[in-house]
Amino acid sequence: MRQLIYSFVFLFAGFGFTSQVAAETWYVKKSATKLQAAAKARSKVLAKLNKGTPVDVLGKSGKFYKVSAGGETGWIFRFKLTKVAPSGSGGDGDVLGALGGQQQIAARESAYGSSIRGLSPVSEEHAIKKGASPASIESVKEMERYKIDDEALDKFLEEGRLGAYAD
Amino acid sequence: MKTKFFILCFLGAFVWAIPSHSFDFGKILKEVEKSSRPPEKTQPSKAEEPKPTQSPAQSSEQSSGQSGGLIGLGDSLGIFDKKTSKILQQSVNTLKSLQPIAYEEEKAIGGRLAVEVFNRYGGAYDDPELLRYINLVGQAVADVSSRSDIDYHFAILNTEFPNAFATPGGYVFVSIGLLRMIENEAELAGVLAHEVAHIARKHALQTLERSRSLQGVSSLTLTVMDKDPGLFDKLIDEVSNVLFTKGLDKKLEFEADKYGREFAYRTGYYPGALKRFIQKLGASKKNQGSIFSSTHPTSRERYNLLQKSSSRYKKASLYPTLGKRFKVAIKR
Repeated sequence: MRQLIYSFVFLFAGFGFTSQVAAETWYVKKSATKLQAAAKARSKVLAKLNKGTPVDVLGKSGKFYKVSAGGETGWIFRFKLTKVAPSGSGGDGDVLGALGGQQQIAARESAYGSSIRGLSPVSEEHAIKKGASPASIESVKEMERYKIDDEALDKFLEEGRLGAYAD
Repeated sequence: MKTKFFILCFLGAFVWAIPSHSFDFGKILKEVEKSSRPPEKTQPSKAEEPKPTQSPAQSSEQSSGQSGGLIGLGDSLGIFDKKTSKILQQSVNTLKSLQPIAYEEEKAIGGRLAVEVFNRYGGAYDDPELLRYINLVGQAVADVSSRSDIDYHFAILNTEFPNAFATPGGYVFVSIGLLRMIENEAELAGVLAHEVAHIARKHALQTLERSRSLQGVSSLTLTVMDKDPGLFDKLIDEVSNVLFTKGLDKKLEFEADKYGREFAYRTGYYPGALKRFIQKLGASKKNQGSIFSSTHPTSRERYNLLQKSSSRYKKASLYPTLGKRFKVAIKR
């Protein structure tokens, strides 16, 4: 009987050994994504990662993924990561190459990213030509200028127990 | 003897476990990710499945606007009858219009349409505190969307009609009339996330890329638009007609509902809030005859579709609606 019990113990030891996770590469969706010391929103921020940074996902706890990035291991709120390699980032050259003309578009999209600011001159000229009111044009410009900083958003999420702060 | 037995057991277990029970954490994560997405995709994600691109030969043929190339040759040699040639030519033209519109051009189109939204629907509503609050909720849902790497801009329209719009490139609008019908932050998050989903899934652009205005255009760049103001005119007219009069395809609205609910849920809000608000909107007299009702599927259809897939949100009632915070923000 005891031998049987030991057999089971060894059997599960074997199972446990093979369940060592195989890391998979994911990517950071947006710049200034926090890599944290623990799977908690209030834990220490180890680094802020740029958009497109590849990370090896090592595990999961609640809404956080344990990742390794640039030699550092930490936790990231899971919805800040994507499985899809961002266009133009390192490591996806072959894929883009295979897509031919798509590569050009992807590279342009990546190069501009969120750096395009202000109402495009084409849009403004067209709006003026079509008789749009200057107030409407100014409202769009104001809309584009309006920014919520990361700290304010973080505080808002914390107060509402939302996002990474959700229970 | 015992020792040998244990060693054999261990080796046996090890050999058995490797092929039959080792598992890939990556695969599990894939499943988790899959389960965190709306289950039924009505359109493939453009980011994940790029559309085919045309060859230079196709491009030059198309720019001539005539039935040239192999199809024309086939036609002249009598290989294809005229009807077949026409069908083939139409197919080629359709393929040529599929080149995705890049972000800079998307922003130019969306920015122009944003001016139009202010122009048509009462201009900007003046309440800096409320605007800040709308931007905070909007940014929170946009940050967990499937397209969080672009800038989103949120504005309040000064009209009592219940309206909400999204124009390509990240512009989201909600009317003060609609805000007055909302009861809590989770409903607001659902509405804003629905609009963010239209942008993230590039719904208006998808419609535009299939349009006739772009037939004969292999790549829509700002230079092309600048050189051909007539083309930009046509594009704006076409998208305006879709967004402000005809409405997007029903499937795209349903998709925005599902993705919107998902984004609000990811942010941590009660996922049933959008469904509740849609029901309320359907029952409201204010909504009857409004642009919102004429450009969207019926509330009943939208409610039923959300209801069908709501079982995937377990313990939904435990998620907050944040009614108090909303009421303070809207000064109710």
